[in-house]
Amino acid sequence: MLKKIILFSVLPFLIFPLSGCWDNRDINHRVMPISIGVSKMDEGYKVFLQIPEPAPDRLGTRIVTGEGETINQIIDNISVNMESAVDLLHVKVIVVDKRLAEEGLNDLISGFIRSRDVSAKAVIAICDDDIDQFFQSMENSEGQEGTILLDYFEKYSGWDPHIALSRVWEVYRSSHSYTRDVAIPMLKRGQTTFLEIVGSAVIKNGKLVEVISSDETLLYNAFKNKSTRGKIEVLDQASVMVISNDTDYKTEFTDQTPSLQTTFNFSVMILETNGNPSAQEIKKNLEELLLDRYKALVVKLKTSEADILGIGQHFRKEIPRKDLKNWRSDYYPNLEFNPIIHVDIQNYGNLKHTAN
Amino acid sequence: MDRSLQVVMMYILTHLGLIFFLYPANIIESTDQGHWIPISLGIIIHIAFVLLYLKGLSFFPGRNIITIYSSFGKVYLILFLLPVFLYFISAAIIIVRAYSEILTIIFLANTPLWALMALLLFIPLFLSIQGVQAIFRTGILVSFLFLPFLLFVLIVSFQNVDVSYLYPIWNNDFSFITKQSYINSFFAISGGFLFLGFVQPEISFQRKKIVIAFAAVIPAFILSVYIPLLTFGKATAETFVFPFVLALDTIALSWIMFDRATVFFLLSLITFIMLFITLVLWKASIIIHHSFPSIKTGYIVAALTIVIYIACLLIPNWQQVQMLFKWNSVLRFYVLFTVPLSICFLGHLSKKKVY
Repeated sequence: MLKKIILFSVLPFLIFPLSGCWDNRDINHRVMPISIGVSKMDEGYKVFLQIPEPAPDRLGTRIVTGEGETINQIIDNISVNMESAVDLLHVKVIVVDKRLAEEGLNDLISGFIRSRDVSAKAVIAICDDDIDQFFQSMENSEGQEGTILLDYFEKYSGWDPHIALSRVWEVYRSSHSYTRDVAIPMLKRGQTTFLEIVGSAVIKNGKLVEVISSDETLLYNAFKNKSTRGKIEVLDQASVMVISNDTDYKTEFTDQTPSLQTTFNFSVMILETNGNPSAQEIKKNLEELLLDRYKALVVKLKTSEADILGIGQHFRKEIPRKDLKNWRSDYYPNLEFNPIIHVDIQNYGNLKHTAN
Repeated sequence: MDRSLQVVMMYILTHLGLIFFLYPANIIESTDQGHWIPISLGIIIHIAFVLLYLKGLSFFPGRNIITIYSSFGKVYLILFLLPVFLYFISAAIIIVRAYSEILTIIFLANTPLWALMALLLFIPLFLSIQGVQAIFRTGILVSFLFLPFLLFVLIVSFQNVDVSYLYPIWNNDFSFITKQSYINSFFAISGGFLFLGFVQPEISFQRKKIVIAFAAVIPAFILSVYIPLLTFGKATAETFVFPFVLALDTIALSWIMFDRATVFFLLSLITFIMLFITLVLWKASIIIHHSFPSIKTGYIVAALTIVIYIACLLIPNWQQVQMLFKWNSVLRFYVLFTVPLSICFLGHLSKKKVY
């Protein structure tokens, strides 16, 4: 009996360690930046934190900056100087400046992966503008919700098929993978809109080697079988909207030369016409337009030896692993790329199509 | 009373806890391509020795391996049970230390190690004092609570899989067998099944039903390696200490209210690992209890826990944990091979004597 009394009087005390009170910071004592910016200085980095701040009837934005040798040191310094602790757990967008991307992102990205402070799912983008002003304007702009950069990339709000969406882990993978590179979106401040897309940066082994336009990014997304729904293509005689797309691949490997036949099927809807073109004409013109663009894109990529389309992935069966290591330099430039484009006009909108 | 379900569940839970831990990194490191070859080899060895062990136990219905060995004399007791005991203690030290390190690396960066290790040992201590039946009933409870989470996480983990990474599929190079990382992978293969020989007569089970447990454990062996491989590719996956955890980090589900599926997964695994530590403590305590029947099991468990806790505190870094893994591999293989074989052998011997 005595034993039980002792036991039950000790048990309630176990509740204290449950609270985790020795090292826990309450949520009101943390600041959680939604996006961070990193730029390369002559020595070390400069970091921008975009922190949403609740104001009376809206969500404001506060920009905090710091300079130092390493990212962690800067974050730590900012933390020391602020009234609450900085917690990078909810960073959703990382913006780096162009210079840093040209010099290489590997150290930065592997730092993120190593410490797991920043989620591996964070979207990464390049700022093709003065990054100081880029972040300053975010703070100044009136009525700006604190989540503008995040909304821009979210699939359910601002994302569009000509934005290349790449996450931290994908960039990390590209810097180690033998057969796969990555494209990341390039932004600048817009004239009337807050952001303007410049195109996509082609990142090879963590370094920026080439820039492709946003039209080409659409092809990149279509190649990866991502939906390009909603994209509008303008031809001489008509403008059409892509409703759905899918892609098939056929690979061949003869005499150390890889060849890839890709069939793209686009279903489109006609929005506007110029004069009275026949369906056949529109179809043919659109196919030609996309075909030329694809060929130009692949030529561009082959010269930079960056395989953002992940074409090497399709040849893992044929090329032994030790040779696969040199896919980018030995095989990729010799690639024979045969795109076939099928356009299907799904409907003509609300008007009957009467052309011959 | 037949408690096969409890035994099967315990078998599944402890193995899941062990497999999703260091096994993927070990296998990915061991070879460059055709990872299914080392995985299948491990699975075959695992199944063969479990079946052999069960076969051997079937010669002694209702007895555990302690009474079996002791009925053949002191020599057997020292030759087989002492290494088993040492293996249990070292495995517990490694598991507690390594798991608390994983917790700090993955999500509790600021919590001191001693607190995590105390937590990881306190619950097993409490549970193992309650005895074998309580442990196995807890196993059922835990599986109801956490297996659905784990199943959910395993299903969504296919989100970023790229099947091209399966190739090249064949590998003529079998040098992985001698690699340290492959030898370390046997931690997941050899450690979990010995409890089958300890639970009788308190908990009786049917041998056939263990085969059901294989059906759950074999896919776990394969998925734990192939999900990170197919998500990242070998060249990237080999740079991670916990590839499976990173593969889970890449899952983006906007409709789920929690941002990181990894946390569900890890918390489930930690409960499984606590069960494993509980079993180990309990097994070690009954071995001692058999040799010194005058001491109460409660005190033995408490003393063992303190020894393990102090040993864990003495390990300063991850490098040393790796070292322990290396030293432990000798015991690991000794236990994996000799216990099932000797039980089977003794079984045949005793059969001959009867007739």
